[in-house]
Amino acid sequence: MKILWSWLLELCDLDHQPTVEEGARALTRGGLEIEGMTNLGAGFTGVVVAEVVGKKPHPQADKLSLVDVIVERGGAATQVVCGAPNVPAPGRKVLWARVGATLPNGMTLAPKPVKGVVSPGMLCAEDELGLGTNHAGIIILDEDDRTPLGASAQRALGLDDWMLEVNAPANRGDVLGHLGIARELVAMLRGKLVLPDVDLAAFQGGPAPDLRVAIADPEVSPRYTARVIDGVRVASSSSALARRIAQRLRGVGVRPISNLVDVTNYVMFELGQPLHAFDAHTLTSTTVGISHAADGESFTTLDGVMRTLVPGDLVIRDGDLPIALAGVMGGLHSEVTEKTTRVLLESASFAPLSIRRTARRLGLHSEASHRFERGVDPELAALASARAAHLLCTVGGGKVLGDVIDAYPSPRGAVTIPVRMPRVRMLTGVALDSATCRDALERLGCSVASPSPELLEVTPPSSRGDVTREVDVIEEILRIVGYEQVASKVPVLRQAPGVRPADRAELARAALCAAGATEAITYGFHSVERNASLGLSPNDRRSQPIALRNPMSADQAVMRTSLLPNLLAAVARNQSHGRPDVSLFEVGSVFLRRGGGLTERPPAELADEPTWASGVLAGRRPAQLGHGTPWDAFDAKALALVAIRAVSGEIVVRSQATKSICYFHPGVAGELVVEGAVVGWFGEVHPDVRKRLGVDGAAFAFDLDLTKLVLAGPPQMKPIPNHPGSTRDVSLLLAEQIPSARVEQVIEQTAEPLVAGFRLLEDYRDARLGAGMKSMLWSISYRASERTLTDAEVDKAHEAIVGRLVENLPAQRR
Amino acid sequence: MSAHDLIANLERLGHEFLAAIPPLADEQAIRATHAQFVGKKGKVSELMKELGRLPATDRPLVGAVVNKVKQTIEDETARRLGELTDAVARADLLRSVDVTLPARPLGAGHLHLLTQVRLEAVQIFSELGFVVAEGPQIETDWHTFEALAIPKEHPARDMQDTFYITGEEILLRTHTSPVQVRTMLTQAPPIRIVAPGLVYRRDDDATHSPMFTQIEGLVVDEGISFADLKGVLIHFVSRFFQRDLTVRLRPSYFPFVEPGAEVDMQCSFCMGSGCRVCKGTGWVEIGGSGMVDPEVFAHVKIDPEKYTGFAFGMGLERMAMLRHGVNDIKFYYTGDVRFLEQF
Repeated sequence: MKILWSWLLELCDLDHQPTVEEGARALTRGGLEIEGMTNLGAGFTGVVVAEVVGKKPHPQADKLSLVDVIVERGGAATQVVCGAPNVPAPGRKVLWARVGATLPNGMTLAPKPVKGVVSPGMLCAEDELGLGTNHAGIIILDEDDRTPLGASAQRALGLDDWMLEVNAPANRGDVLGHLGIARELVAMLRGKLVLPDVDLAAFQGGPAPDLRVAIADPEVSPRYTARVIDGVRVASSSSALARRIAQRLRGVGVRPISNLVDVTNYVMFELGQPLHAFDAHTLTSTTVGISHAADGESFTTLDGVMRTLVPGDLVIRDGDLPIALAGVMGGLHSEVTEKTTRVLLESASFAPLSIRRTARRLGLHSEASHRFERGVDPELAALASARAAHLLCTVGGGKVLGDVIDAYPSPRGAVTIPVRMPRVRMLTGVALDSATCRDALERLGCSVASPSPELLEVTPPSSRGDVTREVDVIEEILRIVGYEQVASKVPVLRQAPGVRPADRAELARAALCAAGATEAITYGFHSVERNASLGLSPNDRRSQPIALRNPMSADQAVMRTSLLPNLLAAVARNQSHGRPDVSLFEVGSVFLRRGGGLTERPPAELADEPTWASGVLAGRRPAQLGHGTPWDAFDAKALALVAIRAVSGEIVVRSQATKSICYFHPGVAGELVVEGAVVGWFGEVHPDVRKRLGVDGAAFAFDLDLTKLVLAGPPQMKPIPNHPGSTRDVSLLLAEQIPSARVEQVIEQTAEPLVAGFRLLEDYRDARLGAGMKSMLWSISYRASERTLTDAEVDKAHEAIVGRLVENLPAQRR
Repeated sequence: MSAHDLIANLERLGHEFLAAIPPLADEQAIRATHAQFVGKKGKVSELMKELGRLPATDRPLVGAVVNKVKQTIEDETARRLGELTDAVARADLLRSVDVTLPARPLGAGHLHLLTQVRLEAVQIFSELGFVVAEGPQIETDWHTFEALAIPKEHPARDMQDTFYITGEEILLRTHTSPVQVRTMLTQAPPIRIVAPGLVYRRDDDATHSPMFTQIEGLVVDEGISFADLKGVLIHFVSRFFQRDLTVRLRPSYFPFVEPGAEVDMQCSFCMGSGCRVCKGTGWVEIGGSGMVDPEVFAHVKIDPEKYTGFAFGMGLERMAMLRHGVNDIKFYYTGDVRFLEQF
């Protein structure tokens, strides 16, 4: 909320007047953060108040005049050339931008000849000082203006002021007016509050009109005051007070409209109480009613929109006729206009929830609804009504008819909150005594009794509806004493932390990073198109993403069901930045629908959020010189295995070709199988998928569901062999379509106890080997743990294995 | 041949060998020459056939000379071979490479800066006995708001613009605080958790991302006070920024804590004297905190008279921005290797 420093000070009685910085610091320390400070007069310098003492026509130009001005009583006059048609008679004050003055448009004034006469600066119009758009004439100060000659124009214009932006907490409806902030400032700086002038003695204009207020439900409309003011002249602001009101409203970002509207706005910003003025002549009955709308009831608000109401909406009625949406917006029919002469002034209190529901449902967020939603003190209604009447009679020439009509069926009683001193000390960690607490609370306007030394009975001021519990009072005490009084200590550990299993995601991240891949983190949501880019079949759960009801853009419409689309899009982006060689991975949640959708109970079963690890490789491997060799599917396989083993330890991971993963090339895709279960895939990204995501050239990827992996326990040491082993190689000629995994399987199935391991040394394909044939060179190592093997033993075992390979694959020995 | 002649011939052969060896420059020639003298058919071996024809009395004398000459030949061969090996080793030392050529790239990977920062934060809190807790990103309204004393229609909901999934009940969590609720529902005090995680808010500019990372802390035990909160936060920022920094708690409002406080950290750039980063104030805002509100305890059935607690939440993106000078939150999420590889 915006406030003006001068306005705030007007409501405070302080021994020592603080600077604006001191004030801002004090408020911030107390919890009203000052988010910004603007010097309202910062737009120009060197413009002063000058009095016109003479004027004559310019000898060379009809439309120009030569104006003599003084900036000091009895001082020498200076002649300024002026082109405005409204140069006033001697004795009136104008604003003179002297030589050296700087203006909002960036201009610095220098002596300048105008048609042969040198002018030391100029007399300013509104637009030249950035105050408005008026260029019809220069600014002339009012006859009764008391700004001394030579003073800054800022002073004359009320711009020697600061606008502060206050970040009002959501529970503090009381600080949405200058008065509430003044209450904070005097509490922080030990001062007194000064209430504004509400005296109506001079404005009594006759007997009270025949008018009643009928509140249907005091729960939602606890208080409603109405007052009739007659003989008002609605006009644009002209008197000094009206101008000050308009100035201040401008200062807090509100456009002045007419004296009447300005007064209601002014009082709202001053006291925090929203007001509404009805044109009393439009009212036909003698009862102002406050009741819920009937279902389907309709009514036109003053913005000209016909609103259809629902039973929760609170309506102000003239008899049965709706005339305003309580606390949200007035009605078009009863709106005050230039012709209005008799006003019904409403100053009321409505329940926050009701106002918020209506404002939200209709999308009508007004200054009034903003305040009512946060709670307006019912006790404020009468004060605000009197204040507004006082100002309106002063600037609009009206008279009040009778007294205020005040419907307040069940006045909110003061609450008394017991506060235990030991509890205060325990919670704050500060050794506070009751005298200190009492002082702090009294500074905030609480009344405090102390029936026993360690107990306070605290009655907060009516404005502080948010303070209802002991803990609320403790916060108030600490706020005033100062949070900086709290010492710092580290809590004692009373219990050993619980055991938490290792985190699959962290294990996979560390391993993939160590294997040379770079981690990316991408958004949990993306566009429908990006989700569809993988080309998943409608039977795949991942093809039916969870949609956001209110995304910010189409790019963030659905929750991701795979990490790959965002990673591939990142590859494309890196390619466009001239970084085609990438090895990126991400470990994070994907979001999958549960069987029956998302409304299932219990809530723990909203959606599946399994953690996946995926990676993409594109371009070339790092090389010392020149270009590296291109990545291939086996790099993706290696990363997948690294991630699996980081979680599950040195387990057996089988791979087999698959054609069923639509986002991989049908001939270059493998599934990874642990104990019979598929845990993920790797391969070359399908060219259609690449194309949809804008990736240039081949890309390789892996995709693992980490939640399917079993966490390994601590690895156990295997004995280091004491005896040397021997190796034997075998070269096989076999059909091309027999996978390497099949050879491994046959070797394993022989269950030869002397086999210590085997490796593929060559996978060689050549037309000379025969159509559809390939050659493989395998190396098998043999070892016994307790002795050195003889050549004969090794040969025997090797021949047995080769025999099985030749027979079972089948293959020829080369 | 007399013994005398034999001795003379042997000694001549010895001299002949010593003269033949030095010019030879490779191992093969040396071994061939060695064989010419002491091989099976070598010159010394041939002469030794004469030995049997000598009178027995002469034999010991001649035998001693044979041994001496053979020894000389063996010693000289070994010496010369050793010399040659040394020469080869020395010659190899003349080899050189351009050591300023680029190193062979190992293809070192990078953990995302936010991962590094998160692991470090968790490590720091772990040392204080905090245990990591987690919760789902798709949450219920109840865990995210209601149980945290933010009922529907509460103006505080304006502070966190929420992404909804269905109706108003299922949503993307706007903060990690629902993890507090889930923990307190399933675990009796003492509780000491830290909950890092991704959260979502409808907010998108240079300092706000619709997805970001929070780290939440919660301690519930007997006798926990505001002073404990302050101590934990000071310890954390000092460790994280690797210098002694202080923390300022400033009154603020979060519905689920009371007293509530904004956490300001002494500016790590200027150490509090005022600079561009802290906008001249000497302080930077890093999160929210406070004492767990009794209303929250009521929702999770913890006795607020017996137990008190504190909670805090911070944005890790902001912490990383402050520590590493990241100037736009967008860089974290685009997968741009020009950013990722810097950390």
